[in-house]
This record gives sequence, structure tokens and C-alpha cells, in this order.
Amino acid sequence: MTATSAAALPATTEAAPAARRWAAPLWVGALLIILAFLVVYPLLMLFFGAVSDSNPVIDGFGKFNPSLEHFVTVLANENVHLAFVNALVACGGGTALAVVIGLAFSWIVVRTNTPFRGFIAGASMIPLFVPPLVAGVAWSILGSPKTGLLNTSLKWIGIDFRFDFYSMSGLILVFGFYYAPYVYMFTASALRNMDPSLEEASEVSGASAFTTLFTVTFPLIAPAILAGSLLSFVVMLGIYGIPAALGTPANINVLTTYIFKLTAWSPPLYNTAAAVAILLMLVTAILVWAQQRVLSGKSFATVAGKAFRPRSLNLGPWRWFTFGLALVYLFIVVILPTVALIIASTRKFLFFKDFAAVFDMKAYGWSHYASVFDNPLTMLSIWNTLKVGFITALVGGTLAFAIGYTINRTHVPGRRLIDLLSTIPVAIPGLVVGVAYLWAWIGLPGGLYGTLTILALAFVARFIPDTVKALSTSFMQIHKELEEASWICGRGLLGTIRSIMLPLAKPGVVASMTLLFVLAVRELGSSLFLYTSNTTVMAVLLLDYYEGGNVGKTAAFSLVQTVILGVLLGITNWLSRGAAQGSARAG
Amino acid sequence: MKRRTVLAGIAGTAAAGFAAPSQAQQDPFGSKELIAAAEKEGSMTFYTADFAETQQEVIKEFNKRFPKIKVAMVRAPGGQLIQRIKTEAAAGKLAADVVNHSDRGLMLEMADLFQDYAPPNAADYRPDALVSPKLWPSATLGWAIAYNTQLVKNPPKTWMDLLKPEYKDKQIGQVIGPSGGTTWTRIMFERQVLGEDYWKKQAALGISLYPSGAPCSDALVRGEISIAPLLYNIIYTKIADGAPAEAIFAPEGVPIVPYADGVTKTSKSPNAAKLFMNWRLSKEGQTFMINKLGNITSLKEPPAYPKGWDPKTVKVWVPKFEEFDKLRATWIEEWNKTYGYRQ
Repeated sequence: MTATSAAALPATTEAAPAARRWAAPLWVGALLIILAFLVVYPLLMLFFGAVSDSNPVIDGFGKFNPSLEHFVTVLANENVHLAFVNALVACGGGTALAVVIGLAFSWIVVRTNTPFRGFIAGASMIPLFVPPLVAGVAWSILGSPKTGLLNTSLKWIGIDFRFDFYSMSGLILVFGFYYAPYVYMFTASALRNMDPSLEEASEVSGASAFTTLFTVTFPLIAPAILAGSLLSFVVMLGIYGIPAALGTPANINVLTTYIFKLTAWSPPLYNTAAAVAILLMLVTAILVWAQQRVLSGKSFATVAGKAFRPRSLNLGPWRWFTFGLALVYLFIVVILPTVALIIASTRKFLFFKDFAAVFDMKAYGWSHYASVFDNPLTMLSIWNTLKVGFITALVGGTLAFAIGYTINRTHVPGRRLIDLLSTIPVAIPGLVVGVAYLWAWIGLPGGLYGTLTILALAFVARFIPDTVKALSTSFMQIHKELEEASWICGRGLLGTIRSIMLPLAKPGVVASMTLLFVLAVRELGSSLFLYTSNTTVMAVLLLDYYEGGNVGKTAAFSLVQTVILGVLLGITNWLSRGAAQGSARAG
Repeated sequence: MKRRTVLAGIAGTAAAGFAAPSQAQQDPFGSKELIAAAEKEGSMTFYTADFAETQQEVIKEFNKRFPKIKVAMVRAPGGQLIQRIKTEAAAGKLAADVVNHSDRGLMLEMADLFQDYAPPNAADYRPDALVSPKLWPSATLGWAIAYNTQLVKNPPKTWMDLLKPEYKDKQIGQVIGPSGGTTWTRIMFERQVLGEDYWKKQAALGISLYPSGAPCSDALVRGEISIAPLLYNIIYTKIADGAPAEAIFAPEGVPIVPYADGVTKTSKSPNAAKLFMNWRLSKEGQTFMINKLGNITSLKEPPAYPKGWDPKTVKVWVPKFEEFDKLRATWIEEWNKTYGYRQ
């Protein structure tokens, strides 16, 4: 432990004995080995697949027959071009909308006196728990041009307008609605941690509240906005469920649906899928590089050693307007789809001859829930999912803290490499990474394959970037002077981390572990290749229901999943708030 | 090229190698020793590309007769299941005792992974439903024409009716050609039996395309589409539950898809695996699947018929396996072009 603690010490710290000199390389080496196992090795397998036509496990590396054929095929295929452009348009539009919504929400919740802020904050995170497939299904129930509930209602009212969510604009809207919480998470904690004296200074100098917002507040939390929008863009790029449910009927392909097709066709074309995946990774790599260019050399430290309370703007009567905005968002994102899912899960069949048929109570019942719980796999999958979620959150959270601290708070050589390696997985779509993990880890000695641990490892690897990025925002905002003060007072590095960094970054740590838990519970792509009959998880079972063509059971099981997640997150939130208040009192 | 196989007219017996031990003829599910050994093993693992719910019903029914054998199921979509089986087998970690897959072509490529096996009633099966003496059609599905009864006033009665202009503008839905062995069987039937230009004429109407049968059947029930060729078992359970849908078997022929299921060489519970296969292939197992799940059967003398199936008029169509394999790539490519499907 001493070795570890000394490892990350900044170079400026007093000269240390030999143990300390070796500690930094050892620490970096350990992190690199972990990342090599979790990221580089599976990635090599993926490259291997993309530049050959063999399966590395079946054919062995001996038959490695490198050829650029798949790459050339992929690059020349106009369907790939189209899918590529569609993906950029859908995710770009979705991100723009997500930034507007997420930023507005974090401002409303953190910096204004809008009523019921706690409730708004909690409810606006709900879309994050909704698996993309479920969101897609819910919006196809609502927004299908032919049979959508919204259109059935409009027809009943006598309005000629019709919604069509089977379209590019439908995709953009649903992406924007559902991935706004990513932006919100980042920007809300940044706003909360921001020293209000800067804003006060601006206003004292005569700037209006509006000008202050756009010239001081938002620029100050620029890293959080960028990190949030980058993450949501990249996450959208990797989403399958929404474009599958809404894009497919309109023949709109994006890269993920194209990749899924490649793996689902008979015979499947995994090597081509790997090549498309690498294209996707290139795009992401460029985005990450751009983000680092934008942020490099700028200090965004806003948490300094001075006590302050986040300032809350008195909106006067306008606070009911912001409250109304929040309600509209919640109605669109939470109430409408939930109602759609409740109707779908309690109605025997989802056929509505007219609007009056919606209220035909004879058509409703609990049969879908009964058959979901009659299935022995349901309870097994719930239990397995919770276990995997906790292991992933704990292991992934710890690893992300170690990585985040090393990248952001130390100057050890090799940290750039660690940063790079821990960012890569964000770009690999789940379905392909699932195959890469299978190829990489099935041959390992020991009984890892077929356990819940291997699923947790895959999730940790897959979501390292999300967790590290979420944590880094917290780290970037904690001023160096606080750590320095601790060192001057004679505390060691571990002591400083324990008494300064952990408590200050705690909201970020809890938030990123919670995020990791949610992502692990939802994750389908990498589960599909690694689960066995005893380790089946909820996401796999949900796909079974969806692929079985039963919207009723799909809706019932997704509501069950959402309720479980909601309850668990409520408990986490309550516990962490209690702990925060406790420590505040103690401080 | 045209080929029609009439159920009643099937001649010939199963290959000699399939002959079952004499004792087994007394017991439709296997010898007493096999049953005792299977019950001693107590559990087995079953890989399937079929719908999880359907297969759970089968396992439940099997457990009514053999409650001491626990069947653990792993389900994944077709191509993904194949990838997994190949990789697990190469790493020496194939967990499956029995594999259930509809794509006979892909299963045949992996025939080496399976052990010699024949059910007690091997001689009762149609030889043209078998691609290898190791792989057996424990499930057989058939293509029907389904329609939404609330939306279609003048329902189609034949495959040729699906070319009528009155069904234009995305009223007809279809599963894409490259989705797997089942759809490939149907589109092969369309071209070989209904005519070289059948695809072209139908595509001209404007067709909604679906990645697989389940979402297509769901869209039909919801009214997103009005008519669709569907595997009978996908729509049957919904009709039985009261969905606003109906399905008919067309007079030009019913393309059927015999599965290719086998017991793996590396099976850790070979007796339980064989007993499970024996029961599925038995008259009892097949009858259950026909009556409750809407399956067809590859038994020469079907023990039951699905609703609306008149054995006097319905003609079963099984693709010639060589053509099934040989024509696949080029014809699918042509189908994709004809229907404007991007691959």
C-alpha cells in the first residue's frame, strides 16, 4: 500500500528513498497491465478479425491471413457510406438537442429557485434507466405513422397533423430526449461545485443575468458540457435499440443496425462487422482527440479552498415557467412512454381500431406479467443482473478512481497512455466487443468462462471510459491547493486522497458508480456472447421477449426492470445524501 | 427446376443406418437403461436459436414425463449462436449437450461436433428432411399466409394473390431474405414454384421489410401491416390467444423448414441429451408441438395437423438440399436487389 500511495506522488514532492522511486513505474505498470488485459488484448482480437477472414480461436493465429479485403469492401460499400452519414446526422442532431435539454435542466435544478427541484432532478434521470430497446419500442407504440397512439388520439380529436417517428427527425428527437441526462449529470455537478463569486463579479460589473449565464457560467463549465456532449454523442453512435425500432421501418440504417445485420445474417459476417466497428472507432478517436485539443492548457478549477454555497437565482413568477418546462419534458420523456408501456403490458394485443378501443377495459389484464413471472429465468436473471451490477460498479468504480486520479492529479510518465487506453472502449459497439471478449477470454486457463465475473469484467472494460470521464470532471474541478495544503500539514498521499480527494470527489464517485451500475444492468451486446444458462441476465431475457415478437411481455419485463432500477437508485441516492449530510455536519 | 413434393406421395424409408435398436421399439422414448442413466445424470444444457418461450413450453412438457431431468437453456439469435458454438468448441468449452437450429446448411458445416445418434422412430421420418445422419428435425415449421382480420376485407387465398395491386403500398410485410434458413426456404419456393418473376412483381407493390419473423408477426397484429407470409408457429399462438389475425395454408404449396438438431460429441450428459431428443422426435413430442405450438412435422405419417390444414389439398414443399446450399448466395443477392434491401 505504501508503494502504491507513493506511486502517484507528484514529481515535486521531496526526494524519497528507493522504494518511492520505483513506486511510480510499478503503479503505472500495474494499471497498464490491467488495461492491456481489459482493453488491448480484446482489441487486438478485433483487429485480427477485421484484417483477416478467420476466427482467431477456431483457426488459431497460425492461419492468420492478413488482407485488407474487408476494409476495402467496407470503405467501398455505398450502404456503409449511407449508414455512416445517417449515424452522424442522427447522433449530431440528438447531441445538440441533448445539450440544450441537459444544460437547461441542470441550470433549473442547481441554480434557480424553481419549485420541486429535487423531484425534477430525480425524475429527469429516469430516461437513463430505460434500455434503448424499450425506449424505441415505447416510441414506436406512440409515434408510428399508421397505428401510433398519438396519431390515434389526433384523429379522434379531429386534427389532421400526424406524427411520424419512423423518420430521421423521430430518431433525433428520441436520441435527444433520452441522452440529455448524460449532459445533465456532467453539467449539474459542475454547476453545483462552481464558485459563485465569479458570477457575482460579472454581475457587479454590470452584466445581466442572461449575459452572465452565457459569458461566465457556461464557459466555466465548458469541460463538463464538452465531456457530456461527447459522451452522449459516442453513446448514441453505439446504440442499437432506438434506430432498430424507429429507423428500420423507414429503411434508415445507422452503423450499429448495419453491424447487427452483419452478425445476424445467415451466415454471419463477423469479420466485416469488425471492419465497420473499426471505422466507428476512428470517428470516436477523432472526437476524443478534438476534445482534448479544446481543453488542453486551460484550467477549469472552480472548487478552491474557500467555503461557498451554490447561488440560487430568484426567478420570481418566472419560476413557474421553468417548472412548467420541466413538467413538459417529464411528460414527454417519462409519462408518455410509461403510459405506452403500461398499456402495452396490460393489454392482450396492441391493436386499436379507433381511439375508443383504448378504453375498452375488457382488452386489459395481467396475463403478460403472470407469464413473465411464471418463467423461471425471470428471477434468475434479476438476481444475476444485480450481482453483476454491484461487482461492476465496485470494481469499475475503484479502477476508474485509480485511473482518473493518475491521469488528472499526477505527472507520472505513462499517464497519457493510460488516458488513451481507458478511452478506447467507448468507440467499440457492444455487439462487436462481445465477440472480441469471447475470442479473447474463452481460452484463458481457469474457470472464468461461464461465470458472472467474466460478464462483470466485460462491463468494467466496456464502460471504463464513461466512468473515468465522469470522475475526471470532478477531479478537474478540485484545486491543487487543497491537496498541497494537506501535504504541507504532513499527510501522505494516501491520507490526502482519503481525507481530501475522496470526500470532495464523493458526489462524482457515487454518481459514476451509479452510472456504471445502470449501464451494466442495461448492457446487452457484450452479455449476449458471454452468458450461459446459469448466468443469464435481464438484458438477454428482454431481447428474448422482443425477438419473440411479444410487445406485451417486452413492455411488462421492461417496466419490472425500470422499477427495480428506480428503487435501487432511490436507495443509493438516499444513502449517499445521508452520508454527505453526515460528513458535512462532521466537517 | 420446379419441384413439388406431395406429403402423401413420399416413398422410401430412412437410410439403414438410422435403424433403431429393437428394444426401443417397445418404448417410444428409449430403453430402460437409457432412461435410468439419463435420470442419474439429472441435467443437461440445451442451445437453441428458436424462440425462448416456445422452447420453454417444450421443456415443460418434457418434464411432465421426465421430471427428474433439468434442462438448462441458452438462447441466442441464429448467426450469433453459431459463432458461439464454433468458438466454444474450438476452445474445448462447448457447454451444449443438445443444439437446436433451423439452418441446416450452417449446422451441416459443424456436423463434426455432433455424435452419431438416431431416435427409436428413425424410420418414421422423411429422408428428405435429413441432411446428416447425426442431425434430426425435432422441430419442423411451415410457411403460411397471415392477415389482420380487422384490416383486410378481402383476404388472400393463394401465394399468387400476394401480387394483387389491391395490396399495394406497404400493406404486405415480409421477412428479409438473408435473415436465415427459414426465409431462404420460402423465397426459394417463391422463385422455383411460383415463377421466376414472382419477386419482381411483388416488390413492385411496395413491401415493408422486417429483420425477422417475430417483429413482423407483431406488426401484423398491431396493424402496421395487413398481410404477411409468416411461419405458422409465430402467428398461431397469437391467434389462439384471440389476436385479430388469421392464417391460411396456400394451395400452391407449404414450404417447410425441418430443423437440424443433434447431440454434441462432448456432451457431459449424453443419456439425458439422447432422451430429450428421443422425446422431442417421438409421436408424443411431435403431437404436442403441432397442437400447442403450431408446428408441422417431418414424420411421414403426421400424428396431427394444424388448424386449417387439409391433408388432401395441402402440398408440402421441401427444398432440395444441394440447391438450398448452392443457390443461396447468388439468389439472396438478387432478392436483395429486387426488394431494395441494403446489404
